[in-house]
Amino acid sequence: MFFKLDSFTLIGIDAIRVSVEVHLSRGLPEFIIVGLPGKAVSESRQRVRSAVLNSGFDFPVKKIIVNLSPADIKKDGSFYDLPIALSILAASGQIKCDISGESCFVGELSLDGSVNPVKGLISMAEQAQSIGKKFFFVPYEIANQASFISSLKIVACKSLSEAVEALAGGEKMEKFICKDKDESVSNRNSHYNFDFEDVKGQLKAKRALEIAVSGRHNIIFIGPPGSGKTMLAQRAVTIMPDLNLEECIEVTKVYSLYEKYVNYLIQERPFRNPHHTISRAGLIGGGINPRPGEISLAHKGLLFLDEFSQFPKNFIEDLRQPLENKEVVITRSHLSYSFPCNFMLIVATNPCYCGYFGDESRKCICSQREIQKFWKKMSGPVMDRIDMRVTVARLPESSFIKTECGESSNKIKNRIEKCLYIQNERFKGKRISYNSEIGINIINEWLKNDKKIRDLIYTISGKYNLTARGTVSILKVSRTIADLEESDTIKENHIIEAVHYRVGYNYSPESIF
Amino acid sequence: MKVSNREKILYALVDKKVKPVKFIDKYRQNNGDINKTLDYFLKYENLKLNYGTSKKNNNHISVEESNYRKIADFILKNEVDLLDISDDSYPDILRQIYSPPPLLFFKGNKIKEAKFSVAIVGSRKCTAYGREAAGYISRNLSEIGITVVSGLAVGIDSYAHKAALKGKGGSIGVLGCGIDIVYPPENKFLYEEILLNGSIITEFFPKTPPLKSNFPIRNRIISGLCRGVVVVEAGEKSGAVITCEIALKQNREVFAVPGNIFNPMSRGCHKLIKSGAKLVESIDDILEEFYEYYKGNLKLCSDHDYPSSRKVNNRHNTEIQGDELKIYEFIGYKAKSVEEIVKYSKMEVKEVLSILTSLEIKQLIKEDSFNKYSRLF
Repeated sequence: MFFKLDSFTLIGIDAIRVSVEVHLSRGLPEFIIVGLPGKAVSESRQRVRSAVLNSGFDFPVKKIIVNLSPADIKKDGSFYDLPIALSILAASGQIKCDISGESCFVGELSLDGSVNPVKGLISMAEQAQSIGKKFFFVPYEIANQASFISSLKIVACKSLSEAVEALAGGEKMEKFICKDKDESVSNRNSHYNFDFEDVKGQLKAKRALEIAVSGRHNIIFIGPPGSGKTMLAQRAVTIMPDLNLEECIEVTKVYSLYEKYVNYLIQERPFRNPHHTISRAGLIGGGINPRPGEISLAHKGLLFLDEFSQFPKNFIEDLRQPLENKEVVITRSHLSYSFPCNFMLIVATNPCYCGYFGDESRKCICSQREIQKFWKKMSGPVMDRIDMRVTVARLPESSFIKTECGESSNKIKNRIEKCLYIQNERFKGKRISYNSEIGINIINEWLKNDKKIRDLIYTISGKYNLTARGTVSILKVSRTIADLEESDTIKENHIIEAVHYRVGYNYSPESIF
Repeated sequence: MKVSNREKILYALVDKKVKPVKFIDKYRQNNGDINKTLDYFLKYENLKLNYGTSKKNNNHISVEESNYRKIADFILKNEVDLLDISDDSYPDILRQIYSPPPLLFFKGNKIKEAKFSVAIVGSRKCTAYGREAAGYISRNLSEIGITVVSGLAVGIDSYAHKAALKGKGGSIGVLGCGIDIVYPPENKFLYEEILLNGSIITEFFPKTPPLKSNFPIRNRIISGLCRGVVVVEAGEKSGAVITCEIALKQNREVFAVPGNIFNPMSRGCHKLIKSGAKLVESIDDILEEFYEYYKGNLKLCSDHDYPSSRKVNNRHNTEIQGDELKIYEFIGYKAKSVEEIVKYSKMEVKEVLSILTSLEIKQLIKEDSFNKYSRLF
């Protein structure tokens, strides 16, 4: 008496197929799970037994062996409760299942037989589609998460007995199939509680942020306390273009690994704002069973590190590789897990320990040495990957009331969408998609025939003592500025404006003020 | 082997722990006779202090493990020179102050050659204006052969040194620590540069850490070496102001470069001007005071470049026009914020930002505090 159902396990963000095989044999009654089960999987024996009994079925008094194949991959989590229970019932001949071959199952059982949510559903649904399954039995509560996949029918089960009913196939099944597919995808209008209108003054910072978002340049805001750095960063997400379906899926994938109750396709750009007391695993990802960290949760969105100087130095260094590769790989002795982390980085920091260096009205009480120490922590490779450095000054009190509203987020967003369209056209078929990812060879190609611009660049890099990387980043930003103006070539004024965002704060006190 | 005077002085100061002030007192009582002075301090010692002293000479006091020995070895190893008060090349002007250092450790020969020097001192945390002013005065002084003395600190000091090194006057840096200690560390490269056309001096023994209390002691040498002290930017309670007080006691001229009245870093200078320091706009104001000194040794330099306002305006009107000129004229000497400039010019932010940068590249304006710009000229 053998029966087999398909389920999945997660490795990083990807799902792979796991067959749940059940064999009932004669012998002393026993219930064994093999195939490198983790703690949660071993414990499923108790849940399955109770759920089966409480749903009105008999639990076979036989020697039950469950094998999770491939047997050499460690499995953890509560995905297998539902498939184990169903295959035990099927193997003991209590239920009829015509469609077991083209179905797959995940779900955690509660003792009364109801089905609870699990993590990573959307990745499994994708995998189910790609291995050609037709039906996917999932917990009812989170069924919407996976319902957009067109060629796959999502069977939402509230309880074990519903799953049994659906498994019989035919008309009975229809009523469990999740139908609000179209609704969840088309009804995509991200709405935020804040708007760029709220930001008074700060014209330079706003403009810089617009450019940064357009070309996906990383940006740092430097300013005294109360100057509005956090406010600006929060609003950056409101001017980012809406996620397309593909991006929504990617974002939801990460989030469904992070928490169980994701009952919809996430459509808003993620905005992650971790506190600086975060642990390393929390920021980068990791743990015994690796989980995505904040940088992955910010995938396709914004990672905002407020009070950047307070983050431990090694965490800052850890960001280097993910910033470059858009992916973080966590290697454990048995396996490597990779999580995507294609995010835009916004960083905010005070200019010194007391916070008032460069402020007009309050005097900074830090010594030169302290300021240098403060910046030493941040300079170097990570700062090199931040293309734009923008100082934010405190506004005089009067301007909060007087100043008329700024532009609304939607207006800015329209311009940015246009700019992104230009970039998409340009980079079609290439491996990059934003101006910030351009290499020096492409830039050289553009500037080959423009001696005037080249001379200007030499002058500037001499004047400001720029490194090669600094010069390249100025050129990248000026390309974005040119795109915003829908100009085909980079012109002088574009470069000069870009210089403004690079040398605004040269992070060595020697060279400022 | 004969033991030289400076070795004896070093021994007296290091191992006999003679206070420099006491030493100078005795030296003056003996009318500048160094041998008599040394005899007074070391009369019970039968010394053989040359560098070759060995343990075999048991009849002499063993100085093998003494501090003197260590310092003497250090000097030999590191090409540091010593200058004692009886030396002919010891600066005369320094010898005249109340308590000249009996011994000076130095690197670089400028200290022996400098005939006429002026100190430029100021704040460590200086503004763009102060940096510009220090460089401008220092460069011009150095060009006509005046040596610029300063304290090798960051801020005004380092800009004064850097500018002076380009001229023939060169520069002397006075340390507040042992000559082997680079303090502050960010001036590491300046130390090397300065030795090409200047010298580094200190009265502190090698390995002396840069203690807070050392700096006022050092300041008396800065002003003592010079005919006049120019303060470029100083807060109200700045070390530069203290240097000026010492300078007045030493009968030196005190000059101050005025600054922006809104800038707290100008307070000290303005206070000095109010109490009688001479206001300096260009080095002419400094040279006037020293007419009788420099007319013999130095060529009066009447037309070195200095930014008379007319000259500057003529120069820049040709360079900048249109919107740039409009914004340049709007930005006064009191800083204007980006928002104010945008409001005034009715231009878009992006245009204003690129104009500001291009004016900055032309060195006409400077970011004063965050997002606030003021004119340099």
